[in-house]
Amino acid sequence: MNIFVCIKQVPDTTEVKINPETGTLIRAGVPSILNPYDHFAVVNALKIKKSNPDAVVNVISMGPPQAKAVIQMALALGCDNGYLLSDAAFAGSDTWATAYALSSAIKKIGKYDIIICGMQAIDGDTAQVGPQIASQLNIPQVTFADNVEIENKKALIKRHIDDGYDTIESPLPVLVTMVMPKDYELPFPSFVNITKALSKPFFTYTADDIMAKKEYLGLKGSPTQVNRIYPPQREVKTTVINTTSVEAVDKIIEILKQENFIK
Amino acid sequence: MPQLDSITRNLMLDSLNEYAKRKLPYDFIREKDRENECPVDILREMYDPEVLGIHLISIPREYGGIGGGTTDLYRICELLAKIDLGVATSVFATYLGIDPINVGGTEEQKKKWLGRIAEKRLMVAYGATEPDAGSDLVNLKTKAEHVVRDGKIIGYRITGLKQWISNGGIADLYTILAMAPGGPSWFVVERDTEGFTPAHHEDKHGIRLSNTAGLSLDSVYVPADNLIGSVEGQGLLQAQAVFGYTRLMVAAFGLGCGWSALETAVRYSQQRIQSGGPLSEKQGYTHKLMVPHAVNLEAARAYIEYVAQRLDSGEHGLATEGAIAKYWSTESGNRAAEDSIQALGGYGYTKDFPVEKIKRDVKITCIYEGTNEIMEMTIYRGRWQEHLKTRGSYYLNMADELDELSKKNTDCGMSVAAMGLRALSAVMEECRLNKLTRHQHVTFVLGRLISMAEHSYIFSKAASAERYSESVKFDKPTYKAMARVFAKNAALEVAIRGSSLVLGAVDKATNLAEKINLAAIEKEQYGIISDMDLISKSLCQVFKAR
Repeated sequence: MNIFVCIKQVPDTTEVKINPETGTLIRAGVPSILNPYDHFAVVNALKIKKSNPDAVVNVISMGPPQAKAVIQMALALGCDNGYLLSDAAFAGSDTWATAYALSSAIKKIGKYDIIICGMQAIDGDTAQVGPQIASQLNIPQVTFADNVEIENKKALIKRHIDDGYDTIESPLPVLVTMVMPKDYELPFPSFVNITKALSKPFFTYTADDIMAKKEYLGLKGSPTQVNRIYPPQREVKTTVINTTSVEAVDKIIEILKQENFIK
Repeated sequence: MPQLDSITRNLMLDSLNEYAKRKLPYDFIREKDRENECPVDILREMYDPEVLGIHLISIPREYGGIGGGTTDLYRICELLAKIDLGVATSVFATYLGIDPINVGGTEEQKKKWLGRIAEKRLMVAYGATEPDAGSDLVNLKTKAEHVVRDGKIIGYRITGLKQWISNGGIADLYTILAMAPGGPSWFVVERDTEGFTPAHHEDKHGIRLSNTAGLSLDSVYVPADNLIGSVEGQGLLQAQAVFGYTRLMVAAFGLGCGWSALETAVRYSQQRIQSGGPLSEKQGYTHKLMVPHAVNLEAARAYIEYVAQRLDSGEHGLATEGAIAKYWSTESGNRAAEDSIQALGGYGYTKDFPVEKIKRDVKITCIYEGTNEIMEMTIYRGRWQEHLKTRGSYYLNMADELDELSKKNTDCGMSVAAMGLRALSAVMEECRLNKLTRHQHVTFVLGRLISMAEHSYIFSKAASAERYSESVKFDKPTYKAMARVFAKNAALEVAIRGSSLVLGAVDKATNLAEKINLAAIEKEQYGIISDMDLISKSLCQVFKAR
């Protein structure tokens, strides 16, 4: 069984602020991390491998050369093969062009039974790349999953819905995007496994290597473009209530209800 | 050993950081600090190869370890110190305890002991210090006597007392320095050996999570195979061979503690409103309590990395460089922690904020692995020899090099660093001519001035690099400003303290002010305030309020 996990290196957004003048992210001193949803996707892929010992977990990312770090991280966690798509031709790709590059690479690398992605990257928050890969490969997709198992050559997927879960059975191949359960503690690799990852297969591919057409990549191949990034405006309203404590409490409750903070 | 690649090193640092977030949160550390308790279970888990395997980094690959280089170990030590210096000290004790075997062991001994430490996750302790022998190990009183059978030495009986031994009460394996008939020698002693008794865990000022105990050895028998290197009398040489490296690790501790305290202060300064604005916007606060420490610590980092790279590229020894790094980094870390308490005001004085504990912890870095007074002496001795051997041109050559480089790099403080080096050379020459090094005070102060001048030499060169080290968190304009401020401070201190040193000991008139070019150094001070403004602003961007 061939499992693909699509991952992305992102800035640790808990440390990032936006420069209000230029509309760009202030990245000084900000560490890069494996996108947490993708990290969870890796965990699930490895869980499938555990119950299907013949499974091979391939991890794939598109990014600059330094994105190799997140692939090494996934290999240290137990993935088998690492692929980095790195080429100037990919620069400026929107979600559609990114999905095209990733799906081209997956096709080129070989057979795929299940493709697992994080729901979204914490820097862009689009949640589009996973579904677009499924669309470009013309395979079924299940989004918002928090668990995937393979039984009798079918995928059993536990999917989040409002106030509950769906359990979906899907034929293979299928693409699944994953969300993490609340307070889930993502595993980290030991020093030993980090060094073992150094001897695992790792490949860097250009656009030519994956036989991708240049006109579908980069800015040229992107139907959308980011116009501006800006922090949301926060408005602070102050209301002074001059009355007795008891009346003030009633008034505050009324305001909280009006503003939908309480029911 | 050469360093690991950057990705591998950073993944290890990330894993260690994650582990600490989960298992060593501040509340836990604070409780253990209050209880004076070493978290042995946590330490044992850190050695588990499925969790971290932190001990493996100092063991070469051929003996079952990971084989990290000095650069890797410095980064790990810095991070450990940021987490908790007690835990860091305990891990370091294993690294240190392994060293005599790594340096002096025979191939068989390395296979046997390093292999066992790696596989069995053994905690190790380094047993050198005694009640009457600290930095002066020649006064060693612990004896190792031959046990002879059929005319052949089959073993040793070791008797004596050891003091201030990190991991003393919890280690599985000990490397013990003892006076054998052939001279000081290292022996491997296993914990359960008859006659071997660890004493109680000391009630210390800081690093209370680190187990520190005395050891009593009462006719402890070890087989002859446990004599490290199989030749007696090599002990002090084996200990000295790694001073460059071990002192660099303590330098990394000073760096980690100093930055940990300072980061807390910088974040706090942005939240605390005083007289209508945050403290981070008030020069009286930032330029006294934050900026100078950031500058000193980044100078320390540049020097640590310079020495680490030399060791990683195969150089040996570097004991003087190790002392320079240890002295400056730990002095800077200690002062940064002290001022971080001040920066937090009343909050800093409570145990609710970590700076009070960091201050207690970091003090030990000025004491262990050779006190900073011993470092001053070591630095002086090493460089005085260079000054004499080169007939005073040792620092003049460095100054010439910087002057040449400064033609292309005008904004890294090189020319003023060169002035500082020339002033140092003039002060040393004046000391030689007037035989001032007969005063111990003069030699120790020279140790400090040498340390500062050499840091400014390395820092200004680091700031001129095309690409900065991965550990530097600041942008180029800020880092260059830091190098400039440091070079100006260093040159001025060398000039003023150097002349005070000479003028305080000679009874005849001298034109020293001219020789050290004091007027030019003073003129170079221009711009320091605007550089400090830039650094202050940048500190708040890098360490944002949470």
